[in-house]
Amino acid sequence: MRKYLTLFIMSWQKQLEVRSDFIFERGRSLAVLFSLYYLWSSLLTNRADVAGYSRAEMLTYVIMMTLLRAWVLSNVTDRIPSEIAQGKLSDLLLRPISHFGYWATQDAASKSLAIGSVFIEMTLFVFFIRPPLLPPPSVAAAGAFVLSTLLAMAMYFQMSYMLGVIGFWTAQSWGPRFCFEVFLEFSAGAYFPVDLLPEAAQKVLAWLPFPYLVFHPLSIYLGKAGPEQWLSILGHQVLWIGILTLASRGLWGAGLRRYAAEGG
Amino acid sequence: MPTLRRYGRIWAALAHNSLRTQMSTKMASGGYLIGKLLRMGFFLMYLLAIFKQLPSLKGYSVHQMVLFFMTFNIIDVAAQFLFRGLYGVKYLIEEGDFDKIITQPAHPLFRISSMGVDFLDLFTLVPVGFITAWALSKMPGGVTTGGVMLYLLLLANALLIAYAFHVFIASLSVRTHEFESAIWVYRDIMTLGRFPVTIYSDLLRGLFVTAIPVGVMVTFPAQALLGLLSWKGVIYALGLAVVLHLAAQRFWKASLREYTSIST
Repeated sequence: MRKYLTLFIMSWQKQLEVRSDFIFERGRSLAVLFSLYYLWSSLLTNRADVAGYSRAEMLTYVIMMTLLRAWVLSNVTDRIPSEIAQGKLSDLLLRPISHFGYWATQDAASKSLAIGSVFIEMTLFVFFIRPPLLPPPSVAAAGAFVLSTLLAMAMYFQMSYMLGVIGFWTAQSWGPRFCFEVFLEFSAGAYFPVDLLPEAAQKVLAWLPFPYLVFHPLSIYLGKAGPEQWLSILGHQVLWIGILTLASRGLWGAGLRRYAAEGG
Repeated sequence: MPTLRRYGRIWAALAHNSLRTQMSTKMASGGYLIGKLLRMGFFLMYLLAIFKQLPSLKGYSVHQMVLFFMTFNIIDVAAQFLFRGLYGVKYLIEEGDFDKIITQPAHPLFRISSMGVDFLDLFTLVPVGFITAWALSKMPGGVTTGGVMLYLLLLANALLIAYAFHVFIASLSVRTHEFESAIWVYRDIMTLGRFPVTIYSDLLRGLFVTAIPVGVMVTFPAQALLGLLSWKGVIYALGLAVVLHLAAQRFWKASLREYTSIST
């Protein structure tokens, strides 16, 4: 456990090494928040609701979505393919640390930094803009939201780790990864609530894990998903974590058998 | 004239290299291209889905909103096509290649910009052109020839402003060997122009036509095409571009004087 803690601290230090880059990186998330916040604010100025979302609910969705983008959808595993291509993986394989644990620790360090800074950003945003930020409808809903968010973080890590491991098969995995991430962001509800889409598109997305990353946790937070649906959402998340874990372990094993330590 | 021809040949040679690099990584390039098209498609789908339930936004119809969104895409894509090379100044400095470039008989900014000509972005202009034409065909009363000429002039003007910002950020990298993420902040701020700046608060709107001229770059050309921009607005936009361009060139020269080689 100590080695993971050391790795966690080292990862923090590395990320804060070039502070200007860290600050700029954080500033990027505010652009999405500002554009969507003002879009919805204008759209709902003289209207009671859009697609069942009141002004306060939609603006709360946009703000909470920004938090979840930082907590759930941030990742560091995009460095795995270059680690494989350059043979740096060999060095890691010789160390008494699991590869999955190594990246999970780095991811946790990155997310913990993001959690801290996004709280500061949101506090400033709420202080200056004074948006109508709704609380969850009950303490139980808040608890279910936190649990659902934690499960979403685990789900997304498995997905991004799997994408990283594809680096065993091709050194060009960043193209498909970009494509996947664009699809994921829109179908997860990380720009707009998924239930704004036509019904046919919603039916297709219901079969995929993506809406469980942002849209469903926020449905719990806003009270759109009642207590009777919580178990189904959390159950689906656990099921997807199981499926993704099996898939990523399988890919890792198969990839390792192909690994030729080129450049290492 | 001979100088222009020489620069034309340099651009063609570097662009050819760039195209060959992209063709040698077909999977990565294909993934990027599909990702970019997906992102645009999803945004459009959500925009149309939202406007199915609303008649207008701040007086703009859905087709006018599509025109604003497409104008943003044209400027964003064209700037990436032409200036993408400037993203990598920090990398050139770290590798020692920057020293080689500044000693060559071509303007370093031109030389670096031309190194990363992004042909993938050029492909995305095809659907953007078709969708823009579709949106224009739906405008009640159509558009005038004068409006189209003004639109093209202000698009070129927006590219000059975009170039100035790229030069500012490249200069910061030359001075400090940091600020790699600054270019991404610029890209994210640009995304605020996906929608007309009239949706933002007075303070932000003021910022978007002065210090962060997203409005001048994206909203002004579309407004000119729709006949909604005054002559004062046109003159202001042209003047601002010239001032920013001259300031960026001065800052670049000053930064070059501060430059110290770190990796030859």
